[in-house]
Formats: sequence, C-alpha cells, structure tokens
Amino acid sequence: MELDRVEYLSTEAWNQWHTELLQSTVNRAYNRVPFYRKRLDEIGVGPDDIGSVEDIKKLPFTSREDMAENYPYGLFSVPLRDIVRINTLRSGQANPIALGYTKQDLKRRRELTGRFFRSAGVNQDDIVQICLDPGMSLHGQDLKEGAEFLGALVIPPDPVSVLSRIRVMVDFKTTVLVTTPSYGLYMLETFKETNMPLASLNLRLMILLGETLTDETRAIFERELDVKTRAAYGLFEASGPAMAYECKNKKGLHIALDHVIAEIINPETLEVLGPGQEGELVITTVTVRANPLLRFRTGDITSLHKKTCSCGRTTWRMSPVSRRSDNIVTVRGVKISPDHVRNIIRQSTGGKNLSFIIVLGKWKHLTQVEIPVAIDDSFFSGSLPKLHNWIRETEDLFLESLGLRCRIKPVELRSIKGFLESGQVIVDRDRFLSGV
Amino acid sequence: MLHIKNLNASYGPIQVLKNCSLHVDEGEIVSIIGANGAGKTTLLLSVSGLMGSLSGEITFCGKSIKGLSPDKIVSLGIAHCPEGRQLFSPLSVYENLMLGAYARKKVDQKTLDQELEQIFELFPRLKERLDQTAGTLSGGEQQMLAIGRALMASPRLLLLDEPSLGLAPRLVETIIKTIVDLNSKGMTILLVEQNARKALEISHRAYILETGRIILQGKASDLAEDSEIKRAYLGKDYKDLSER
Repeated sequence: MELDRVEYLSTEAWNQWHTELLQSTVNRAYNRVPFYRKRLDEIGVGPDDIGSVEDIKKLPFTSREDMAENYPYGLFSVPLRDIVRINTLRSGQANPIALGYTKQDLKRRRELTGRFFRSAGVNQDDIVQICLDPGMSLHGQDLKEGAEFLGALVIPPDPVSVLSRIRVMVDFKTTVLVTTPSYGLYMLETFKETNMPLASLNLRLMILLGETLTDETRAIFERELDVKTRAAYGLFEASGPAMAYECKNKKGLHIALDHVIAEIINPETLEVLGPGQEGELVITTVTVRANPLLRFRTGDITSLHKKTCSCGRTTWRMSPVSRRSDNIVTVRGVKISPDHVRNIIRQSTGGKNLSFIIVLGKWKHLTQVEIPVAIDDSFFSGSLPKLHNWIRETEDLFLESLGLRCRIKPVELRSIKGFLESGQVIVDRDRFLSGV
Repeated sequence: MLHIKNLNASYGPIQVLKNCSLHVDEGEIVSIIGANGAGKTTLLLSVSGLMGSLSGEITFCGKSIKGLSPDKIVSLGIAHCPEGRQLFSPLSVYENLMLGAYARKKVDQKTLDQELEQIFELFPRLKERLDQTAGTLSGGEQQMLAIGRALMASPRLLLLDEPSLGLAPRLVETIIKTIVDLNSKGMTILLVEQNARKALEISHRAYILETGRIILQGKASDLAEDSEIKRAYLGKDYKDLSER
C-alpha cells in the first residue's frame, strides 16, 4: 500500500492492521525486552491475551522514569549491532534516556516526516528553513531528513542569532519556515524592527511545533505574514516530530495511526477515556524495531476524535495539547521539570540541596526561564567573585544539559519561601514580582 | 480479501499457530517467512480447511470460512497448491489438470478448454507432455503441473506452499516469474517460500512467523533490508544475537 493511502483505511481495516501490529509488537517486546517480559509476567498478561486492539488496555504503562531506569540498552529489542543511531535525552533522573534506531526505524521516520511535509503542501521546489532551539535538536534532525527525503532544499537549524536567521530567510527566499510558535513570534517582532519590507520575504507556509499553537498566534502569522499555517505534534521518544499533524482543514492533528496506537487515560485513575474526553495521551509504537514502547505516558493533556475528517483521512485526530498532567513545563519545545533543575543545581553545588523556584517570563514573545536559588550560609562563603563564578558555571550547565539558556538568580530563602510553602515551584514572572 | 484473526491451530497437544492475525488484500502477493516448523504450512492448511483443530476467525471476501469443508472453500475461490506437489502420479498431466476443476459444478467443457489453453500459455511444457503420466515429469514440470492444477479451480486467491522446493536454480527463476505473471494478471497470492530472499523480492508485503507467532510484518522491500531477517534466513548466528 502506498504510504499516503494508508491514512484513508476503513475502520475495519484499521482494526485488522492494529490487531496485527499490536500482536507482533507484544510478541517482540515479550520475547526480546526483559523489562517488558517482567512487567507483563507480574500482571499475568501474555501475548495470547491480545486478541484485538481493545486489549491494549491490559498492557502495562511505560513512563519516562522507566526509560531512564533502563538506560543504556535495557529497552532495546534488537542486538546492538542492528542499531545504527543512538540519541540521548535528558530525563530529570540520574540517567538520561537512550533512544536507539535500526536502519529501518530511520527510514520509516524519514518517510513519515516526508509524508507530513507533503500533506502540509511542501514539495521539492520549496526552500525549507528550520529554526529551533538546541533543546529541540532531535526534532530538527528528523525534520531535516524528512524534508530532504521529499527533495526540498533544506536549511537546517544552526545555532546563530535571530538576525542571521532572518537574513538567511530573506537571502535564500525561504518558502517554508518550521519553528515553534513563540520563536516564530520572536522572529516576526525582530523582522519588523529591521524595517525591511514584507515583500523581501518569500514565505508561504509556517509549520509550527514544539508548543501548542493558539488561535491568536495563528491569526497573527496568517494576517501579518500572509502565510498558511500548519501545526504538528511530535514526541522525541516515539515517531519524532510528525506523530500528528494538521490537514488543510485544521480541525485537529491527524495521528500517524500506521505507526502508533493512541489512547487517552485519566492520569489519576489510569482508566481509559472515550472519544472527545480530555485526559493524558498514551502512545504505543507498533512499527518501531529497536525501541518499542508499550503505552508510553506522554504527560500531555488532550482529547481524541475518531470521526472521519472532511479531508477524507480516517486517522484519529487529537486536539491541541491543553496542558500537562505533571509538573513539566515546555519552553520553546524543551521540557523542563523541577527534577531537572534540582539535579543540575545539585551537580553545580557539589551535591547540595538548595531551594529554588522556576519563574517564567516573556521577553519579545520568547519565554525566558529565571531560577531564583536560595543561597544559605552553608553554601555562600562570603566571596562575591566566587558566587558570580558559580552563577556563570551553573548557567552554562543549564544550557549544556537542557539546550536552553536559563538565568540563575541568588536570593534569600525568605523571598521564595511563600511559593515553596504553597507548593508553587513553577511561577509566572508577574506573580513572582508581586510576591503572591 | 482474506482476513485472519487470532488463529490458533494444533496437532494434538502441540500448538503450532499461536494467536496469528494477518490479511491479504486483493491484488497482493503476501509472503509468510519462517524457519522450518514455524507453522507456515499449517497456516495455509488452516485457510483451505485441512486443519481440524482450529480457533480464531478466518474470513474470505467478508464471509467466514472457518469450519467449512475443503471443497466448499475451493468453490468459494481459494485454491491450494501444496508443498511437495502432491500430484496423482499414475494419472496423466491432462487428468491431473482436470481434477483441479473437480469442485466446479456449473462449468462447460468449452470454458475449461479455454482455461487449459491459458495454462499452456503459462507452461508450454505441460502441453507437450499432456498424455504423459505425472510421475514421469521432472521436478520443475511437476511444480508447473501442481500450479496449473490449482489454477484450474479458477481461484481468486492462490495459496502456494514452497513452490521452489527442490528445484534447480533456473527452474526456480521460471516458477518465480510465473508467480509474478499470475499476479500481474490480477491473481491474489499467499506464498509460503523457503527461499526468503526470492519471496521478499516479488511480494508486496510479508509476515515473519517464529515458533507459531507473527513477530514482524511490513512491506517486503523493508523486510528484505532488515538485519535480523537477513541473519535469520542466512542462518548466521541468529540465535545468539536475537534471542537474548
């Protein structure tokens, strides 16, 4: 079957496909991944218990913590010699998350990302510029390969300034810009400040991912840049940046059901919810060879819609992610949790548990992260130059491990005590300044 | 066209197929690849009604065929070309071919003659040896006859079990080419083949069967590039590496 045709299968055909793919995935996971065999044995479920796609609810969940605990290759289902690429991902735990890919995994991912670009209307005559923060480099790599697979000219993400990126966009007549909504707004603001005429841009399409694209932001791009927009949803852990994407009708994001099975659960009770009900998105990969995931908890709150779209695609659609089910915050596509921050601070202080909160503020549409850290006598030696050095080193460490610049601000414990006592670790800048 | 869900099959106490689900769409060549004893032949026997002890669903063109008698299944449009040919050695080539049409009740001699001619176009050798007894044919000719006999049932789905088994390389090529020809004329084919490389070359999709379970499926061209499958069917230190 042609790659694009698969998105139009009938409900019965999807049922057959998913049953087949789920059964073979569970067979492989059970036989080849000791972690899954143990988990399945513990709850008394075996490959024979999966008779239809509905039986997916019998399977155990996989969390990011499980992935970190099984670092480096505890979750691989093929021998290391079949793996041709490994990516690591920060996890907030002591271990990172390792993701392995076989040659086929990479090929499928390229094809899927290519299909996503094609469905967004990108073709081989396009000039695709990808502008993402270093923390999104995994998606950047997949997007580059997907657009190349399509035969488009690609300008991959370079760690250069926004002005340089705008210059490239003008000079090379970029037609498709791939970025996060907030970085897109930042580029738009900066472009306006250059006083260059809009006609110097050749942009016709913006593909926005990494964060939820709100209706207001979409309207700004469409109005001010006179472009079409498409949103996408991806997961580093499964299927890459094109796990779900909008069609021309923009009525939700079509999930790549030939690669994953999606469910929505109540994050508290873990009960599976029906179409239209809001809950946590759970993903099972069904074509991945190296690193199959059973019921991976994404932490993203959304809902699923199973009715056929007016574009003809029968793939289920998900609503834009409304929030997180945990205390992870997404800044320009980079996920940060208090656990991440705690680990980095512990690392930079030689193992000290200093109190902190995470303050999020906006500057030119870009979310900025500021981390007030309570400095106590056990850490502060009285030497200001030493403290400044520590701040610089810690900021570097944040950039290195998160791929995102964060500002460290030494404070006295009493200035953040109120937030800590009320359990508010992630605080809006305005609220932080007003001290409530 | 053919949909199988949760098929279990056993020989007495020994379960051979375990919870197998697969499908074949109209116009496809789909291969089942697996080691000896993985359950490939049992799978084909289950479809053609030759396995007694079965559970699960088998539907053909939307109609359940599980539990139907083999002749009923043939008359619905599924013909099985078994492993090792299973010809009637003392009978002539012509008689063997006509036996293939045995289950077709309302068909006149003229139609049969036309169909015979089509089979002779595919296998001119059979026409030359029409009156010879099947037992005196070479291995390749016997395989041609076995396929010809299955085609005389005028099937919509052809089940082929190890068609290249025991044939000289040149004859393997001929048989493989015939399968592709048949498919290009619209025949849907479910193929079990020990020559995994050849099977993947000509198939649209394939399923990998391992000790009675389907462990992998996909586009044949993708599977042909899969390291694990390459190793498994080249037989090289497969067990050590993939069954940790």
